[in-house]
Amino acid sequence: MRPGQVTAVHLARTTAAELSKLRTLPAVGLTAAATVVAGGTVAALAASSAVAGGASPTAAGVVTEVVRFVQAGMVLVGVLPVAHESAGTQLRTTFAAVPRRAVLVAAKTLAALVALVFTAAGTVCAMVGGAVVGSAMAATAPAWGVPGETEPRWAGPGAVVVSGEDLGRLAGAAVFLVLVGVLAHAVALLLRELVPALVTTLGLVLIVSPLLGSLTEHARWLPDRAAALLWAPADPVLGPADGALVATAWVLVVGASGGIRLLSSDAAG
Amino acid sequence: MTPRAGVRFRDLAAAELRKAVTLPAVRAAVLGTVAGSAGLAALNAVGARGALGAGAAGAGPVPSAFDIAYTAAPLGAAGAVVLGVVAMSSEYAASSADAGGGRQVTATLTAAPGRLGVLGAKALVVALVVATTAVLAIGACRAVATLVLGDAAAEAVGLREAVLRTAGAALYWTLTALIALAVTVLTRGGTLPLVLLVANGSLVSFSLLLSRVTPWAYWLPDLAGRRLYGGLTTVPGGPDAVTGAWVMTAWTAALLAVAGLVLARRDA
Repeated sequence: MRPGQVTAVHLARTTAAELSKLRTLPAVGLTAAATVVAGGTVAALAASSAVAGGASPTAAGVVTEVVRFVQAGMVLVGVLPVAHESAGTQLRTTFAAVPRRAVLVAAKTLAALVALVFTAAGTVCAMVGGAVVGSAMAATAPAWGVPGETEPRWAGPGAVVVSGEDLGRLAGAAVFLVLVGVLAHAVALLLRELVPALVTTLGLVLIVSPLLGSLTEHARWLPDRAAALLWAPADPVLGPADGALVATAWVLVVGASGGIRLLSSDAAG
Repeated sequence: MTPRAGVRFRDLAAAELRKAVTLPAVRAAVLGTVAGSAGLAALNAVGARGALGAGAAGAGPVPSAFDIAYTAAPLGAAGAVVLGVVAMSSEYAASSADAGGGRQVTATLTAAPGRLGVLGAKALVVALVVATTAVLAIGACRAVATLVLGDAAAEAVGLREAVLRTAGAALYWTLTALIALAVTVLTRGGTLPLVLLVANGSLVSFSLLLSRVTPWAYWLPDLAGRRLYGGLTTVPGGPDAVTGAWVMTAWTAALLAVAGLVLARRDA
């Protein structure tokens, strides 16, 4: 085999090993499941409150309204694998088994990407389901706390047919979630430890980004705000594709720094 | 507090304070909160000065230096969560396998067998550190905003209101940190409380969403206390500031009581 083929085989096997680690790490599976369940629940709540308030929400509208709520779950799925491995002596074992660290970083990222894509797709599907169920329940049940207000405002299953444009926004929401998760993975590669990586990413995505967004228009260059253009294309400067590119650039820069750290530093440090 | 164990509460609190201030995560959280709040306040003040210079001030009320300083308050709540969580989760973190892989909590409880005393000392220290951070952060914000704006902004907020609102924010942060501490005692790890409480303290708060479905959600600790912030993040509906503060304090006390019971009864 040529050297390139050897590397490819090596990468494939290492990715398989990393995927097997992810599959057997209970925290990752639990977090992914909790994210999917939380997505469905939040969407159902939002849809039912919208219907009770007299609106007739579409599935894509509900999803884009609540997609930010599950960012925390994606961040955790992104951070956990790397942080868990660095916490004990597992990293040293891994380095002994896969001495080519560049291959290891690539394999870890691929494996994380697979987990994130599955979680994001499942969450968006659960959100659509939650939106449909929530609207239906709110439409048939009397409104909360307002006796006698029983007139159904929801137009029935036909109202939630997802149009082509809505499908695009739903896919955009899923890609947004994957980008947030991959960013968390990159931060974890750089910081290695669970609490710093978790607090940095959550703080950036959930606290700093909304605060900066209300203060300055330049906040559009932040990774999560750029990625959010995929489902809310309302920026005068960046389009959805530009936003995805900006977010990907963030991931690449942070991830490359983390990869260099993993390549060049001592296994314990 | 626990004569049997022979450890005075004062010594316990001193030990916990020493542990807390030498914890890198605590230092990072305090520094991050103060510097981050000051940075956000500076950004906001520069924006406000630009708007004033462009003559846009006629369109709306002139923001006071205090209001500008206040916009960074949500950052402090996240910092408080980190402080409350790591004060406890650091006890449960396993050290390196080369050093035996032990957890600090075993050493702590050997030195101070009175577990309620340990929790009380931790709560006291967390409250102290968070309240200090709050005063530092809001003071820094205020200073930055005043420096940037100079005489441009009208000082619309009187001393009494300023002191009350600073105390309100400090109280909210402190109670948030104590809730985080109590939840971390229950989970014996920092991940879950960090994710839940940081996410819930942000603008995409589950309690806020729940409040759209049922008005009972206004009595959850974070929403009940929201009015302590005053101004920007106040949500319509729910109890007023004083009632809310009591409700949040009651939640905190209840959670700490449960945490104390669990810590005292459960295997460490």
